[in-house]
Amino acid sequence: MTKGLHTIRIGWLYPRLMSTYGDRGNILVLKLRTKLRGISLTVVPLDEDAPPSLFKSVDAFFGGGAQDLEQGIVMADLKGKKQHIMLEKIDSSTPALFVCGAPQLMGKWYEPGVGKRINGIGIFDMTTKHPGESSSRLIGNVVAEISNHSLLNSSDSDTDKKFLVGFENHGGRTTLGKSAEPLARVLYGNGNNGNDKTEGVVFKNAIGTYLHGPLLPKNPFIADWLIKKTLEIKYNSEFILQPLEDTVEHTAQRAVAKRLGIAL
Amino acid sequence: MTALLILFLKLVSYFSKILGLGNGSTWPGHIALSLNPNIISDILRRSDCKIIVVTGTNGKTTTSRMISHILMHERFSILKNDSGANLLNGIASTILLSTNMVGKLSNTHAVFEVDENALPHVLKQCKPDVLVVLNLFRDQLDRYGEVRAVAKKWQEAIKSLPKETTLLLNADDPEVSYLSSFSHHQAIKTFGLDYNSHIGDEDITADSTSCPKCGTKLSYTSRVYSHIGVWKCTHCKLGHKNPTITQIDSYPLSGTYNKYNTHAAVLTSIVLGVPKNEAVSSLTDLTPAFGRQEKIEYKGKTIQLFLSKNPAGFNQSLETIMESNPHSLLFVLNDRIPDGTDVSWIWDTDIERFNLSKTDIYASGDRAFDMGLRLKYAEINMIIEPDLKIAIEKAVRKLPKDQVLYIIPTYSAMLEVRKIITGKKIL
Repeated sequence: MTKGLHTIRIGWLYPRLMSTYGDRGNILVLKLRTKLRGISLTVVPLDEDAPPSLFKSVDAFFGGGAQDLEQGIVMADLKGKKQHIMLEKIDSSTPALFVCGAPQLMGKWYEPGVGKRINGIGIFDMTTKHPGESSSRLIGNVVAEISNHSLLNSSDSDTDKKFLVGFENHGGRTTLGKSAEPLARVLYGNGNNGNDKTEGVVFKNAIGTYLHGPLLPKNPFIADWLIKKTLEIKYNSEFILQPLEDTVEHTAQRAVAKRLGIAL
Repeated sequence: MTALLILFLKLVSYFSKILGLGNGSTWPGHIALSLNPNIISDILRRSDCKIIVVTGTNGKTTTSRMISHILMHERFSILKNDSGANLLNGIASTILLSTNMVGKLSNTHAVFEVDENALPHVLKQCKPDVLVVLNLFRDQLDRYGEVRAVAKKWQEAIKSLPKETTLLLNADDPEVSYLSSFSHHQAIKTFGLDYNSHIGDEDITADSTSCPKCGTKLSYTSRVYSHIGVWKCTHCKLGHKNPTITQIDSYPLSGTYNKYNTHAAVLTSIVLGVPKNEAVSSLTDLTPAFGRQEKIEYKGKTIQLFLSKNPAGFNQSLETIMESNPHSLLFVLNDRIPDGTDVSWIWDTDIERFNLSKTDIYASGDRAFDMGLRLKYAEINMIIEPDLKIAIEKAVRKLPKDQVLYIIPTYSAMLEVRKIITGKKIL
């Protein structure tokens, strides 16, 4: 670990257009968990008027959920330079977290219930199809067990298992391609498609998940993983984060799982 | 045939009440609609009764209560639905159980609050003389889907209204104001606020900051709260128009949101022929609807309830409570069907904006720990007690006699709180 003040810049993708379900909760968690460790965090809003150079300047990305109309505006704005910068950065291990609808945009393509196939920006090897307006949305609480090794081995915690607890609300069904690795295995709820028990996707240091809105409050190990990876890539050295008092976080996670009949 | 059906349904309601099968306020409507889907319009067509429909995300119950209150002062006979009966079934029940044996309503006015998502179904059956649209906020996305989808449904529903309907719209809410573009020859009246006294900050919870017509980001010259204010689209030039009513002399309930509710109620009364000063003065003895700023005495102490079920309502409740320098504040977060099963919305609230350091804070409810987390990340110290009864006891025991325990509950939590402190079940 290098000495001195560490600073990180997280680019928040389109906060005005992609803040549907309390996505801001993730930013609040990152802010406090860096503050408590003396790390200086700057949140950089990447709205439509943000130039490509601003995309280039950040050390990590976060993206929340968008409603249909906003999703279209975002895709149109991302095309070209901004898309290339994102692809390049993520390919060179810049950490990223995409929740809710954002992973759909980050896949290869998305086929809506009505209308034409929309090309995604292609970070993740996955495709998403909406089975039509008449089929039901996948809505409800989700409990999943982390299966991705990078996340499993990240911490500093004494348990060998890690769980993800949250809420999903999506019409699209996502299928992972051969080179994509799932984030977790579904124990309760639907996950990527309601069939193959996979939830989310990981590529290098980028995570996508259907759990929407405030993912990080009940799953703080993902916040810490993101902070640690961001520091390590930026400073090119290993970091060990000071552990925080997470009793409320863990109790909240277990309380939700318990009500769904799952003991964590 | 209708007379027999009505008699039968009155019996159903009576027995379901005494046998404890439910509150009797939606059952008969459900049965009646399955036997005759047009039962509502059949009865209304026969009756000589003015109909007022009130819809919107927040403020339906309070505004309907104000309208009925004013009209009762004018000695009209009012039919009103319960807030728990604001879907098509509930409206049908309310109407059926009030008809006489020839299948007519004898009331002069009917005031119905209607769930925002049920509005299109209700308007198919019931053509109101006045339709009041209060606001449109994010609420219960797990059930209703996106805000814009609700707005689209409203636009379609308004196209089918007769030209006799008067539309009463919130000028300061872009999606609501935009509904005027879908009317055809109806009279349109609008309500707003005295903007000189309200120049708010950019509010992070704002959910319809995009132009309802073209999707461009809206600009505001005055922002009251959330997306409510004096707005304009810089691209297509759609914008705020001066409202018909922006202030009155006195308000019966505190809070900026209640100013809008009061303006809507007074304007409705004016449209129905009540002089403005009479409408305003008759509101002086208004009591709050249950759970909406309702005060209840408990063990010699005072508890006041501020029902809040979405970020906009929550922020407005908190802002109003903070004006009284609260000693104690209890948040009760449930995730049952009437609350919305997704509690993500608490992260869109603006808790950080308020200084709660001098207030004792408690979190309870089915999702006590989620609420606790929300407060923790706002760097607020609190006591988490999932058992609601114990949480209330703890807070009340520590409360000085001259102080008030403020409670911000979600819908089912509000019913639970009332049950604990009044000992009665209300719905």
